[in-house]
Amino acid sequence: MAMVVDQTVAELELSGYSTTTTTTTTIEDEHGCNWNDWSPMVDWDAISGSHDDFHDLIESMMDDNVALLHHDHHHHDAAAINSDTVVEGAETSSSDDSKGLRLVHLLMAAAEALTAANKSRDLARVILVRLKELVSPTNGSNMERLAARFTEALLGSLEGSAGGMHSKHMLTSSTDDYHRTDAVAAFQLLQDMSPYIKFGHFTANQAILEAVARDRRVHIVDYDIMEGIQWASLMQALVSRKDGPPAPHLRITAVKRGGGSGRRSSIGTVQETGRRLAAFAASIGQPFSFHQCRLDLEHEAFRPSALKLVRGEALLFNCMLHLPHFNHRAPESVASFLNGAKVMNPRIVTLVEEEVGPTGDRGFVNRFMDLLHHYSALYDSLEAGFPMQGRARALVERLFLSQRISGSLAGLYRSRVEEDSCSWGEWLAMEGFRPLSVSFANHCQAKLLLGLFNDGYRVEELGNNRLVLGWKSRRLLSASIWTNSDSDL
Amino acid sequence: MFQSKKPASMNNNSNHNHERVVVPPMCVQGDSGLVLTTDPKPRLRWTVELHERFVDAVTQLGGPDKATPKTIMRVMGVKGLTLYHLKSHLQKFRLGKQPHKEFNDHSTAKDGERLALELQRNTASGSGIIGRSMNEMQMEVQRRLHEQLEVQRHLQLRIEAQGKYMQTILEKACQTLAGENMAAASATPGGGSSNNYNNKQGGGGGGGGVHLLPVDVKDFGSPLVNFPSIQDLNIYGGSDHDHDDQHHHHVQHNMDKSQLDDHGFHMMPNTSTHHHESTMNCPPPGKNKRPIPYGSTGASSTSTSITAAGKSPLMWSDDFRLQELATGGGSSSTLGSQDHHDHDPFKATDHHHHHMIQESSNFSPAEMFETKPVLSGDIHHHHEKKFDATSSSRLERPSPRRAPVSSDHHHLPHRIINPPPHLITTTNTTTTGSTAAMAQGRNSPFR
Repeated sequence: MAMVVDQTVAELELSGYSTTTTTTTTIEDEHGCNWNDWSPMVDWDAISGSHDDFHDLIESMMDDNVALLHHDHHHHDAAAINSDTVVEGAETSSSDDSKGLRLVHLLMAAAEALTAANKSRDLARVILVRLKELVSPTNGSNMERLAARFTEALLGSLEGSAGGMHSKHMLTSSTDDYHRTDAVAAFQLLQDMSPYIKFGHFTANQAILEAVARDRRVHIVDYDIMEGIQWASLMQALVSRKDGPPAPHLRITAVKRGGGSGRRSSIGTVQETGRRLAAFAASIGQPFSFHQCRLDLEHEAFRPSALKLVRGEALLFNCMLHLPHFNHRAPESVASFLNGAKVMNPRIVTLVEEEVGPTGDRGFVNRFMDLLHHYSALYDSLEAGFPMQGRARALVERLFLSQRISGSLAGLYRSRVEEDSCSWGEWLAMEGFRPLSVSFANHCQAKLLLGLFNDGYRVEELGNNRLVLGWKSRRLLSASIWTNSDSDL
Repeated sequence: MFQSKKPASMNNNSNHNHERVVVPPMCVQGDSGLVLTTDPKPRLRWTVELHERFVDAVTQLGGPDKATPKTIMRVMGVKGLTLYHLKSHLQKFRLGKQPHKEFNDHSTAKDGERLALELQRNTASGSGIIGRSMNEMQMEVQRRLHEQLEVQRHLQLRIEAQGKYMQTILEKACQTLAGENMAAASATPGGGSSNNYNNKQGGGGGGGGVHLLPVDVKDFGSPLVNFPSIQDLNIYGGSDHDHDDQHHHHVQHNMDKSQLDDHGFHMMPNTSTHHHESTMNCPPPGKNKRPIPYGSTGASSTSTSITAAGKSPLMWSDDFRLQELATGGGSSSTLGSQDHHDHDPFKATDHHHHHMIQESSNFSPAEMFETKPVLSGDIHHHHEKKFDATSSSRLERPSPRRAPVSSDHHHLPHRIINPPPHLITTTNTTTTGSTAAMAQGRNSPFR
């Protein structure tokens, strides 16, 4: 059975089903259970041409997968996800629960099929198509909606594995005005119903404030400025700081994606952000200037030489990633920015990124499940944020989370052959950045902030320089502070 | 105690080497200069010198709580001192007992001046020890509390700033959306526009295109008022006044619907559906005076969900002020219609506005001023001034705050400190992200 190692259980189960089309949960080892072995016996192309044959199979999975719970740790993951869902919805019926669980199993089966050799990609497609019929991204429980998003994303990965499709999709969806005003509304909703954005921004800003307490000129290089809302609160804090020189001059250089290919953020262009920030700064009396720094067209690489520096200014790098409304950014691009930070020797680097499960040698399916778990917790937290406003939540899910999910999944899919990735924090540490400890005030601020939101949120300090925002038992977002310069702050 | 001792009286022993210690009659001096008793189990006499070194060592090690006998021994480096000695001395030291009763007899000062210095120091560390460690603790606690309050205040201001910034985005988005038919009316630049919006809204009952924009802005912003601090507000402000006059909401609701229907403005799907529902479902006043601050269970009970969604009566009262400005002309004109079961997303704020009107009878502006929380920080002033820069004229409407604190203070178990209510309230008002919030920011309680 050596060749089965990569094939995970759900697939085995599938093959079990396809041999018997009964509800048995035994895995029949004698079949070999590898799709590659299997394909000579079954004409997959023919079957995927007429999906009906598979419906029975899939239905049977839908009916009976609950019984498969004990098979391996995947299923424990699945159970965990499902229990998260259950916690929130008091009125979620048990049938919803088991449906959610079945959906998870189907998704897992699809993911597994997707990563296997060519033939099983057809199987993946079949499963996904069927999944798509089962769930809708706008209806049903959290798990059902999430499963629908994941299905879309997986299908996207499947069809667009050559590349373009995903970005094309984003391009079309971000251009019409209706979408844009929607995006503003959804953005505001997201801010109001969950602490993610404020947590990331305020924690980074507090670290920045502490780092520049005595400076007269502050220069922040912002990797992904989005709508610029992070800097409103920083300006306010700079203007009102008591000790130290009053209101230092603030310069923000927004790193801009090259190409102008329409991949603007969902809320306006960098130029608009700059104008808006300048207007805001003027309104509160904050000396301010705004610059842009274009990423290379290819690979969106950051070139430190593109930065204009002024002698005597405190340079800071701000790297917001993975906030719920942020676009997915290519790892190479992020790496080039952080590498730039290494060269430019900024006073501090503030990093906000999503928390993924334990890294290490994990295959695509494990990471896929981790992602599912991650977003499941996110969905749950949003639902708790305003339980009765399903449509508002749906807006957020449609405009932001779906893109995040498809971006994450596409990245995961692309990188499935590469070695395991680590978090950017770990990456920074490996690159020789030193962690800077989180101040009491900062920690306190995060706690107070979370106190304003739903009870399920919590904050913890990890590794002395990282504040982690979590929902229930799941860590979701972390903000960390780093430095590369030798001078102590 | 030695601090009562006069320096002059200590001059009987002079010029002692730092390392050497006087041998009292009943004591033997160890070769390291320590004074040990002749007891079978030699006790150490803690002379001033020795104690001073001990205190230095302890300080160096980060205080009596951090220092251990072992580390003290290493730092002091005095031969003959044993862990046993240090242990008991440290214990006494921690307890704040100054084991110095033999001080008088064994002064080791070189001269009066030095002695006096020592006296001072020992006074500080001697009789004051209990007081000091207590003080230190207290100071630390106080410092932290203070810092926390500061943080809280700053947090409020930052949230406000973000809310204000968000408002500019919203306005821009609405302007964009409004397109040409709004061009004439929406010439107002983003910065100081809230006044205009408010005013427009005041006359907005007619439903002309000119007035739509402001209304939209309001509606766009206000349903989003979900900012959670409102949940806290809820606690402070009490909620006894917010459940009445439901039909007025609906009336208002209906009116707005008539305005908006042809406009086709549906960016905000259903935040206010929620509001609407909440109004409908609220228990009558008196039955549930204090909604649970957090609806942790999610969607179950209505009142819980309301607060969980961050909707709270106090926020309404803020909006109400807005409405007051708005003269209510438009709203009364449409009071007739009662078709209010349509869950239109955009009615929420106007529910509230109307609601506020109802409330205004209860609160004269003067009262509002009086009930305004006292603001402590000058940052507030500062901050406010800054924000003022945007507006050409200041709104004179007072803030309709309720009595700042209710007895519900203690219902905030999740807060480490019960924040002064004004902090919360201030935040609330601005983070509503609505023009109401902006107005509040300008003319709120600081004058």
